[in-house]
Amino acid sequence: MSILYVLIPLALLILGAAVWAFFWAVGNGQFDDLDTPAVRILMDDDKAPKKDNDE
Amino acid sequence: MASTDTCFHCALPNPRGCDLTVEIGGRERPVCCPGCKAVAELIRDSGMSNYYTMRDAPSPGVGKPPDDIAEWQVFNSDEMLQAFADVNPITAEATIYAGGMYCSACSWLIETSLSEIPGVSSVDVNPITHRLRIRWLHENLGLGDLLARLSGLGYQPQPLAPDDSSRPEIAEQRMALKRLLVASLGMMQVMMFAVGLYAGDFQGIDADMQRFLRLVSFFVATPVVFYAAKPFFVSALRGVVARKPGMDLPVSIAIGAAYAASVYATFTNGPAVWFDSVAMFVFFLTLGRYLEMRARHRSIDRGVALSQLVPNTATRILDGERSVVPVAQLATDDVVLIRAGESIPADGIIVSGTTSVDEALLTGEAKPRPRTPGDRLAAGSVNLDAIVEMRVVSTGNDTTLGAISRMSERARFTRPQFVNVADRIASYVVVALLFIATAVALYWYLVAPERAFVITLSVLVVTCPCALALATPAAFAAAGSRLSELKLLVTNGNAIEVLAEATQVVFDKTGTLTLGKPEVQSVQILHDDYDEAECLQIAAALEQASTHPIARAFRSDGPLPVVSDAENHVAQGASGTIGTSQWRIGNALFALDEPVSDEDSSTVIYLGIDGRKVARFEITDALRPDASETLNTLRSMGIKLSLVSGDNAGAVRELARSLNIDDAHSDCTPADKLRIIEALQAGGERVVMVGDGINDAPVLAGADTSIAPGHGALLAQTSADVIMIGESLQPVTTALKLSRATLRIVRQNLTWAVVYNVTALPLAMAGMVPPWLAAIGMSASSLVVVLNALRLNRYS
Repeated sequence: MSILYVLIPLALLILGAAVWAFFWAVGNGQFDDLDTPAVRILMDDDKAPKKDNDE
Repeated sequence: MASTDTCFHCALPNPRGCDLTVEIGGRERPVCCPGCKAVAELIRDSGMSNYYTMRDAPSPGVGKPPDDIAEWQVFNSDEMLQAFADVNPITAEATIYAGGMYCSACSWLIETSLSEIPGVSSVDVNPITHRLRIRWLHENLGLGDLLARLSGLGYQPQPLAPDDSSRPEIAEQRMALKRLLVASLGMMQVMMFAVGLYAGDFQGIDADMQRFLRLVSFFVATPVVFYAAKPFFVSALRGVVARKPGMDLPVSIAIGAAYAASVYATFTNGPAVWFDSVAMFVFFLTLGRYLEMRARHRSIDRGVALSQLVPNTATRILDGERSVVPVAQLATDDVVLIRAGESIPADGIIVSGTTSVDEALLTGEAKPRPRTPGDRLAAGSVNLDAIVEMRVVSTGNDTTLGAISRMSERARFTRPQFVNVADRIASYVVVALLFIATAVALYWYLVAPERAFVITLSVLVVTCPCALALATPAAFAAAGSRLSELKLLVTNGNAIEVLAEATQVVFDKTGTLTLGKPEVQSVQILHDDYDEAECLQIAAALEQASTHPIARAFRSDGPLPVVSDAENHVAQGASGTIGTSQWRIGNALFALDEPVSDEDSSTVIYLGIDGRKVARFEITDALRPDASETLNTLRSMGIKLSLVSGDNAGAVRELARSLNIDDAHSDCTPADKLRIIEALQAGGERVVMVGDGINDAPVLAGADTSIAPGHGALLAQTSADVIMIGESLQPVTTALKLSRATLRIVRQNLTWAVVYNVTALPLAMAGMVPPWLAAIGMSASSLVVVLNALRLNRYS
């Protein structure tokens, strides 16, 4: 069981890193809009008409 | 959406005789104006036709062709860049407010089309706050070019001063997210260690391991208490200082006491720790608060309506030279030139020129007001007739418009009466609970001192009136957000409560039951030399000079006779010379120089040549398409209906008959309308007034609550409690139904909270509830309340 004395502090370090990463992402504005990203994947960038015009 | 009589782009009805179309998705789509046509073509040619299938709501109407980019050129100067952007040697970053952004499709459109401009390195659009943050290489690309592009897409861009990006909502949301994360991760970790500790209690555990697990729990629980739970302590302290203890006080005492006792037990090898209970308690509280905050933030951004009123640029006269400058640069005592048809950029006093202005947006008065040198002009009103020069008195937030916008901003943060009452009750409950807890502690200290602390802790946690305090605000916040999704914007939190109890709805006529868009219903020819088509053409040509709403009835896109010395006569009509004859169009007195007394159901307009009658037009205003259906639904809900109108008896009678309204009042002045409403209220009715606000502001304010159609005079809406967007009248019934559902949910929530507390309290006092179970019970009861309220989000 003594391995826990190593593993638990290690887990806490990883936890700390995760919290830090999340704080950074929030500060970076990545969570300001929680609605658009959900639908963005559904939108194709249909560039075709533009190419037609360029030709 | 693609029917032939509404615009494909903005969904407004197409004017008669308009045959503009745009080819999108292989079909010709009708549009209402050259502006919408240009925007739709721009969207198609940029390869973004997908926007039309993805959007939730019609796009904002455009009105004028957006390729008028000269206006934006002034923003290309270095000065402007410094004023509105954070500038590095290479890149600049600016925040732009884009009015007219409605949905995720809009944000996608803006993002994609701006990113395509060479030199733009990143674009972040937030459709909720209508703001976008853009970073670009400023050497070859000016701020003005970006604004022009946005304007070209049909939005109303407005660069914001850099400090505006730190908006309070955003900051609040970020902070709440961080706290929620700390609480949730902390809770998970502490629970895991707690499992080890509890297992140890049953099957034995190393003393060292137990101490180690407690120490680790302490490390993880500490940020949960001091970071995630900080708002509770702050608010509890504020409540104590203000002598109005809120529900945060027992919460804070419970968290603080349990934490302190656990820390003590950890370092003295005491019998038990409660870090898991503390962390779980904080997590569920934080989660409840977070959900409530999200619902609250979804309410509308009033800036949308207001930003459209003040122009972005103004023509400043300095030492006799004219230059176009952004409105933000205007200062007191600057002299600006305002052309006919332009909006007034700031509050000021006319120094030269005589004109009339449309102040409907500020005062609700539809009639143009004459203004001569020395008179005041208010920002946001429209100069109708002639060029004037104005000395600026106040700008920006100091203007009348700014004051009104602050007022409506404040309305967003006012809490419903209901919630305040619930809060006051909660604070009595809190004081009572603190007494009960003290009594319980004393009793158990005398009976079984070793159990006293644990039981008192459980009592404090289990009876926390969180569910009671969340019951109402959670439901109201969810209802507000659902209403705005259903095209109803609530500006006054009390509205929902009143709407739910409404017994009588009073409708205004013009612009409310009708569309407020006049049309020529019949033409009567009174002169042998002219036929109907000619008369309509002449009328259209003459009315070009007029700014009166009725003039729109004559609008035509066909070729028109040339009018010389066209002149608009305020409140009378228009005149002009065609060929050698002097024509006049307007009311009988003006057009014919004689009073004609046959005013009946419709509004009557005469056309005269050199003082002789030529034609008589009857103008009517079409009914909203779903008016009769909506009224029937209201009737079936047991609501009484009335009609009040400033129109003449004939028109009102006809409308009332066709809609089956028995209680109709005609020829009402605003004072009459107010009297009618007060009489109804005296008779015990809860009255909802539905009116567009023109001339109606006091009437809207006088009713118990009020609804205004969104196209009406924008600022008159500030006196309306609910604004409905779009052509349909049906949101009125939605508002009433959803409000009733909201009150139902509030009642369920309050019942649940009371039942829970009444059941749990004796059990906890008897020492039958361990702290961890108390934390689960209390959290679960709060979550039930919040989740029950969130059901309103799916109401349809």
